[in-house]
Amino acid sequence: MTEKIIPFFFLLGSVVYLCLAGQLTFGTLQSPRSGFLPILAGITAVLFALFLIFKQLRSKESIPKENVDWTKFIFILIGLLFYITIFNIIGYFAATFIFLFYLFKIADTKGWIFPFMMAAGSSIVFYLLFKYFLAVTLP
Amino acid sequence: METLTMLLHGFYISIMPINLLACTIGVLIGTLVGVLPGIDTISAIALLLPFSYGMNSTAALIMFAGIYYGSKYGGSTTAILMNVPGEAASVVTCMDGYPMAQKGRGGAALTVAAIGSFIAGTIGVIGLTMFAPPLAQAALSFGPPEYFAIALVGLIVLTKLTGTSLLKSALMALTGIMLGTIGLDSLSGISRFTFGVAELDRGFDLSILAMGIFGIGEILTVMTKPNTQNNVPAVRFRDLYPTSEEGRRSVAPMFRGGVIGFLIGLLPGPAGTISSFTSYALEKRCSKNPAEFGHGAIEGVAGPESANNSAISATMIPLLTLGLPFCGGTAILLSGFMIHGIIPGPALITQQPDLFWGLIASMYIGNLLLLIINLPLVGIFIQLLKTPLNLLMPLVAVLTLTGAYSINNSVFDLMWIIFFGIIGFFLRRTGLEPAPLIIGIVVGPELEQGLIQGLIICDGNIWGIFTRPLSGTILVLGLVFILYHTIRWLSKVNHLREEVSS
Repeated sequence: MTEKIIPFFFLLGSVVYLCLAGQLTFGTLQSPRSGFLPILAGITAVLFALFLIFKQLRSKESIPKENVDWTKFIFILIGLLFYITIFNIIGYFAATFIFLFYLFKIADTKGWIFPFMMAAGSSIVFYLLFKYFLAVTLP
Repeated sequence: METLTMLLHGFYISIMPINLLACTIGVLIGTLVGVLPGIDTISAIALLLPFSYGMNSTAALIMFAGIYYGSKYGGSTTAILMNVPGEAASVVTCMDGYPMAQKGRGGAALTVAAIGSFIAGTIGVIGLTMFAPPLAQAALSFGPPEYFAIALVGLIVLTKLTGTSLLKSALMALTGIMLGTIGLDSLSGISRFTFGVAELDRGFDLSILAMGIFGIGEILTVMTKPNTQNNVPAVRFRDLYPTSEEGRRSVAPMFRGGVIGFLIGLLPGPAGTISSFTSYALEKRCSKNPAEFGHGAIEGVAGPESANNSAISATMIPLLTLGLPFCGGTAILLSGFMIHGIIPGPALITQQPDLFWGLIASMYIGNLLLLIINLPLVGIFIQLLKTPLNLLMPLVAVLTLTGAYSINNSVFDLMWIIFFGIIGFFLRRTGLEPAPLIIGIVVGPELEQGLIQGLIICDGNIWGIFTRPLSGTILVLGLVFILYHTIRWLSKVNHLREEVSS
């Protein structure tokens, strides 16, 4: 089903792009302007997306997909968004520790002590590596 | 003679302690990337891009190149021992490498793959040394129409050879070209598609995009898969010796693979993968026992593993001499050049001879290092294969995010990276290959400049581009390529219709 929906996103994106490109000056063949390639690329992309939609709708084949644990997917995204939210507030070391511990547990790492120790150890190593060895300015 | 002198100078540059260390780190990371099935070459280079800011540019590029060709060495380990290709180019190695491992000859297969990779990798670098300087010299006379023709035909060939569907790959490349137009237009100075956001004037930050699509996208893909236990057979040092019969049968495929790989590497597309399949087909045809293929024929390991390593060296030629990357790996290498303020192209060899020859010489050294690292340390790599991905992936996630943050010290970049990561995850699930997207972004501006300036030079006469000897020849070759595949497609459709009607 996803492979049938995605071409519509491509079509939508290409149409929006083409509309925006239309606001730029196309110029002439002797003197092409900033809208020349964007308009040509936009038209070609719209045609290709339409052709892909047509092809996908007619096709009965579906791409064999690997199973995905969608609960994990959502929880990983929540973790990533949480990490970048708290990153500047509580600082790199604490945020990285919480994020790693959370991800280890999401990834079904057994027990509590081992993931806790792994998260703490890795956070210290990352902090020292980035802060002192690579001289990255960290919050 | 001048080439030899410059190459010797390159060796002098590349054996400097900092460059030698960078080369060793690069090939070591490359091997690890190849060995660990969860991380690919592009993701690894993308996530290391920001950390190279503080490095000397020659050392940084030697390290990135080391990761690039080193990953092809490591890719064979999982293919042979676990039937899991560490790299797309090693898919074909599974066919005979894994049956060999099941018969207890996994160690010999690993040795043949490593020696073949070394021999063919060196053949590829010799080709690079011989052909890159004259091509760069010739490219100095190229004008915008020639660059336009090369970029256009390159993209056409690439879309045919990448991914599972021509249409999908073409759409991805077009999306890349469209994304490449975001920012300040270099010809007119007008901001395009930026919506007044000043940060977008610089265009899309390729490293952020690549880290998102390849890095976070890969992490999401691997972490959301059902858990699998890695079952790796043990290989002892004494198992690594091939028998004299295996050695004798491997020599010719190694050299044939080296030559085929080099020739295929000059063409746009995923050269490593195509060359390994081509080499496998050739070895099967040349073999006295083709029935043995698929059941543990040593030629089926030696040929493809050699071919993909030679191809990787050849893919550096268009990048270094024309500044045009025609595969995902060289596209990300180009962004490595760019973040160090170096623009590869015909002038590189004259303007930055230390970097150019130092990089080439480091590839000879890197190939030797890979042979030294891969054989004695195979036991360690096998142990690494047992590292559970549920521990590895969170650590890679932190490395990627911290790397992205260090580019501009901006949490805004992290949001983009997560956004591109989600896109990368869904692209993979829908069979849309992300590599043409990246290449479209990189080659798109070259294509636009070539087209616009070419049209101005030819006074708006599009046939003027066709009548120039080189651009005309390249465009005609592109047209022949399109016609050939259109005719093949039409005859296939007709054949299917006939089958249905009968």
